Amino acid sequence: MKLAGQTSLIAVIAVFAFASTSILLAQGPDEQTLLHPPADAWPGYHGDYSGRRHSSLDQITPKNVGTLGLAWAFQTNQNAPIKSSPLLVDGILYFTVPDHVWAVDARSGHMIWHYNQPTREGEHIGNRGVAAYKGYLFFSAPDAHLVSLNAKDGSVRWKVEVADVTKGYWTSMAPLVVGNHVLVGVSGDFDNLSGYIRAIDPETGETQWQWNSTPPAGTPNQTTGGMTWMTGTYDPDLNLVYWGTGNPTPVLNGSTRPGDDLYTCSIVALNPDTGKLAWAFQVSPHDTHDWDAVETPVQVDGDFHGEPKKMLMQTSRNGYYFVLDRTNGKNLLTAPFGPVNWTLGIDQQGRPIPNPAKEPAPDGRIIAPDEGGMTNYRSPSFDTKNGLFIVDAHPSWSLYFAKPADGVYGWAGADYNVWGKGVIEAIDYQTGKIRWSHEIGPESGAGVLTTDSGLTFTGDGRGNFLALDSSDGKTLWHAGSGSNIVSSPITYQLDGRQYVITSSGGVLFAWALPQAQ
Amino acid sequence: MKFPRTTRHACALLAALCLAALSSSAAQTPAISQSAGGAKQSRPAPKTYPPNLVQQGSALFRQDCSFCHGRDAGGGESGPDLTRSKLVAADVDGNNIGPVVRNGRPDKGMPPFDRSDQQIASLVAFIHTQQNNALASAAGRRGNGGRRGVDASDLQTGNAAAGEQYFEGAGGCAACHSPSGDLAGVASRYNGLELEQQMLYPRHARPKVSVTLASGETVTGILGYLDEFTVGLIDSTDTYRSWRISDVQYKIDPALNAHIEQLPKYTDADIHNLMAYLQKLR
Repeated sequence: MKLAGQTSLIAVIAVFAFASTSILLAQGPDEQTLLHPPADAWPGYHGDYSGRRHSSLDQITPKNVGTLGLAWAFQTNQNAPIKSSPLLVDGILYFTVPDHVWAVDARSGHMIWHYNQPTREGEHIGNRGVAAYKGYLFFSAPDAHLVSLNAKDGSVRWKVEVADVTKGYWTSMAPLVVGNHVLVGVSGDFDNLSGYIRAIDPETGETQWQWNSTPPAGTPNQTTGGMTWMTGTYDPDLNLVYWGTGNPTPVLNGSTRPGDDLYTCSIVALNPDTGKLAWAFQVSPHDTHDWDAVETPVQVDGDFHGEPKKMLMQTSRNGYYFVLDRTNGKNLLTAPFGPVNWTLGIDQQGRPIPNPAKEPAPDGRIIAPDEGGMTNYRSPSFDTKNGLFIVDAHPSWSLYFAKPADGVYGWAGADYNVWGKGVIEAIDYQTGKIRWSHEIGPESGAGVLTTDSGLTFTGDGRGNFLALDSSDGKTLWHAGSGSNIVSSPITYQLDGRQYVITSSGGVLFAWALPQAQ
Repeated sequence: MKFPRTTRHACALLAALCLAALSSSAAQTPAISQSAGGAKQSRPAPKTYPPNLVQQGSALFRQDCSFCHGRDAGGGESGPDLTRSKLVAADVDGNNIGPVVRNGRPDKGMPPFDRSDQQIASLVAFIHTQQNNALASAAGRRGNGGRRGVDASDLQTGNAAAGEQYFEGAGGCAACHSPSGDLAGVASRYNGLELEQQMLYPRHARPKVSVTLASGETVTGILGYLDEFTVGLIDSTDTYRSWRISDVQYKIDPALNAHIEQLPKYTDADIHNLMAYLQKLR
């Protein structure tokens, strides 16, 4: 890493001291900021802890969004596309691709520092971004290590192993800071390995606890897998973190892992101080289609058919939208949000019942959705104004194969897409019915951001950034970006100006309303 | 929500277009014809590569390629099995593989990789070694955790007579296709999984489109691009032309829709029977 220039750094810090007196000089974010992010911060992967990716900012409105223009763009000059959600802390944006972290001035888009530590091991498929806490950053390296950096200059504080890369683990997720814990998850799909969540001390890097989603590899008749690919959410009142777990392994052949395969394809609630499981809800019992349940578990407090509820919502990769009571994990609603053909119905607990006839077979089975799922890593958003759960969906069909010769290790089969498309869907949160849908051509990797002013920011499958009217899904603004979009937008307000940050390819874009020069 | 000023067909067919861009597992064309009888192919002795080069390629492959193509190049989460790739089979010292690595395949979601000649050479050595292993022994493609393949011999469980009946009847195939017309010899053009994928949805097909300009002039061609703002076509002189959708009316040939509408209606037996029938059309 290197400093772009000492003077510019000092200038940035100086601007800040005036702009946000409530924040200690470049020492954010503290716990209060994480709990209640102000307008000039996006201090965690989801912004706040709720996972709603909904902003109260309302300077950009359905009426004026048509004039939205480029404030600045930042080019990483890397081949790897930006898959991370930037953080905004103390006026500086932090974002990543594998092996790289950038600190960029959120007002101008100029680089402050760049960390680049090449690693030779582990899959370099993508990185979702950093976590921040009291002047420190936390970064998941491809070689399954957690790296802590000083936010001021990108210098390394420590690097600790999270998992053994030689066994087939790697790390790609954005850590979640809760209190005095940095929560990290692990990635892996080609080996029969256990997934887990680990809590790490933000000061020392020492492990505080570890929760394993599956039994150790080699346990007879038990599954492995349950990787923890994505960032969970946190309810400070209940003091529970909510996390999705990935598919079981072997992936497409379930014969060596009879039964439900707990806790794979599940939403789990853990005490962040102890790692103790409070409850779990399995969205795909005995999965044989690679449908990780790691999509954002979104917290919503409100009315559910006349009763006030603390809810947890997920549009899951398996094609179903779930509403749970997040105090106890009890199911309130299970409804498909696109074509699904792999179940025999819904059981009394609200879980889809997998149809054994739709397990992968030697001569193939036609399955909806496809392996990429009805949705995936891209973030959904809960629009609190309209009561809509808005998700970038992927109605799709595919063929799944598995035969004894494919073995019982890792993938253990094969699957092939047949057809699919991309649709932004607005789901009525109490019924699961689609209120509006907006076709976006091919599948898109763009996440969703909603704002109180009634806007939905996302992107289509051709690389257009879109602003839609949240009430009916109509397009109000667009800009071609020149590459595929595989990240989720954020927004913040600095110096009285609201910015929306999007990315595609290796470019980060900042959008704002025109202002006098 | 519908696209402005388009026909209903156009909306549905925008989806059809996705295919080319999305088909990350496209071109899964078996290079290896592994018949049930296991007949040996006559093929020159495969080139061997220095073990240290293969080792280096293996490490680089794992870092950059394995998530999509599998750690053993046998296919992964979304990328095709390279051990069955025709492109790999036809490659000589990286003349095919090198450009794909350097340029990517943006239409299929593969990014470009900026790698040195020496690094490319190591990847080429590794990929060819994996393909040679797969050719030499089925066991060479097992045991390394990656996606496995599908052989034409796996797709022989259907009943051709039932398939023909479905083709002429419930499947509605005969409305557009004919075994003595467009499908004559189809089983000679496509084999195994590729034939089945083509049957379910012809992912490379580009529909016809007609665009009516404000002047009243109508331009026809093959759909070249479509999003909700721009429509482009390749006209009869192979020239690409495009318009703002707000300025024109356009209509896309809805023929491909029937494939999409059929997907929820198939039973697995229907698909296997249809395959048995189509495989007779040589």
